[in-house]
Amino acid sequence: MTITSKSLAALIFVILFGGVAFTTAMGWWATESTKEPVTFTEGEFAGLPNPADIRGSYTFGDIEKSFGIPPAVLAQAFNIQTDGPAFAIKSLEEIYATGEFEIGTASVRLFAAFYNGLPLDLSTDMYLPESAAVLLKERTLTPDQLAYLDSHTIPNPAADPSAPTPAPVQVTESAPEEESTERVIKGKTTFREILDWGVTQETIEQIMGIPMPNALTTIKDYCTEKGLDFETIKTALQAEVDKAGQ
Amino acid sequence: MKLFGKHLFRPRSIWIRKIVQWFFFLLITLISINHTLVENGGGIPFLTTASLHALCPFGGVVTIYQYATVGTFVQKIHESAFILMIIGFVLAFLFGPVFCGWVCPLGTVQEWVAKLGKKFFKRRYNHFVPARLDNVLRYARYVVLAWVVYVTATSGTLIFTEYDPYFALFNFWTSEVAVGGLIILGVTLVLSLFVERPWCKYACPYGAVLGLTNLFRVFQIKRAESTCKADGACSIMCPMNIPVDSVKTVHDHQCISCLECTSEAICPVAKTVVFTTATLKPQES
Ligand code: SF4
Ligand code: SF4
Repeated sequence: MTITSKSLAALIFVILFGGVAFTTAMGWWATESTKEPVTFTEGEFAGLPNPADIRGSYTFGDIEKSFGIPPAVLAQAFNIQTDGPAFAIKSLEEIYATGEFEIGTASVRLFAAFYNGLPLDLSTDMYLPESAAVLLKERTLTPDQLAYLDSHTIPNPAADPSAPTPAPVQVTESAPEEESTERVIKGKTTFREILDWGVTQETIEQIMGIPMPNALTTIKDYCTEKGLDFETIKTALQAEVDKAGQ
Repeated sequence: MKLFGKHLFRPRSIWIRKIVQWFFFLLITLISINHTLVENGGGIPFLTTASLHALCPFGGVVTIYQYATVGTFVQKIHESAFILMIIGFVLAFLFGPVFCGWVCPLGTVQEWVAKLGKKFFKRRYNHFVPARLDNVLRYARYVVLAWVVYVTATSGTLIFTEYDPYFALFNFWTSEVAVGGLIILGVTLVLSLFVERPWCKYACPYGAVLGLTNLFRVFQIKRAESTCKADGACSIMCPMNIPVDSVKTVHDHQCISCLECTSEAICPVAKTVVFTTATLKPQES
């Protein structure tokens, strides 16, 4: 069979767009990861979205869908002009880039957790601007949450961008050392990273009670897959990371 | 094709290919712009909001290792890239690297710059690199491919984005663009004034993967020796400098299935260089 350029052009279109249409119809075509956080699997919060799973690619709209916080409230909390649902929360890092303490995705996790009274691991330092703290204090917070909030609030940046970033207020804990901020197990941390941080495979397997998968797997994904509680495993592994770092 | 008495496209060239190239160039440009707009709260209706990573078939290739061993995709790569990779392979299995010759906007942009080069240098264009050096350099893209697959597999992130001229071309207005990518894009465009498709020939890792299908693809470029006038027009025209006039079937790993060497384009004799599955017999001529 011989084909001409016109037939070839038509076949390229049919195969390419036909393939995309077919896989879309089958529900296989996805151009982004789902913007729905995993839910708590057990305890009194079972079935509710887990704020620890909020990722930088989420928009204000995604947060509203899962956590019921209107974009306008988020905009007010983080003291920004946009309150459209399309605002990607990873942009917060750029907006607050000059500050000493990081305001970013972790801050949104903290805000979403406290706003809805959902549990969140508070063993790492996450900061919120004062405007967010004010809003949260209108909600019901436990004494622990309140204490955490008080020690992790930073003043809103001054309107004048050339003004020096003010030092954080009410930070009672010592500022985190570089080492400890770097070696923190998060949702995206892979087994390879903690191996690199000096934790042996045997220790990891002992903690999890099951063999370690390929080192490129993220710890969190693996825990979810195997039905292990990520928070528990994370705390135990973090202790080993800290030990190895000493 | 004529409009107001003037040729819209150079005659004896595959004009429909240029239209398809334009189509995909505009499509990818619009999608990239849309992605930026969406991130800033706007957006073009009815157009995908996907990022370029999600629509890059090569992203699917580099994620194969991680997908096979861990079951997850490399960061920023999604199912769509995997699907496009499979579609790209189906097309290449049937027709060779048509993605390069007809779809890839980076290939298209290099061809546009080549037009300028051809104006300046006429017949000397695309013949500057000494043959010996050229022969060796043509395999460099496999080295690039091996490196990209290796660093992606070991890091789990898209390190190639830092150097990818394709990503730089469609993201130069965003903060995501890397200096490395911009420099390589700049060098590619300048070199395109002297050599046709320098990135494709010497560096593109995806071109390297697709190029392998030239060894076994279903539809092949074939030359009927019985009717061939041996004027060498096909070889002179070939953007990839393949000596079409000295082979019966093009198996060169660099062919991009542009069909510019065929009797539909530069070959002056009908049915002499064709895109076919058939074995060319003397009586066919
Ligand atoms: S070789 Fe690479 S850059 Fe060139 S057309 Fe093919 S995919 Fe595009
Ligand atoms: S051999 Fe023909 S189809 Fe292949 S690249 Fe050269 S001109 Fe294009």
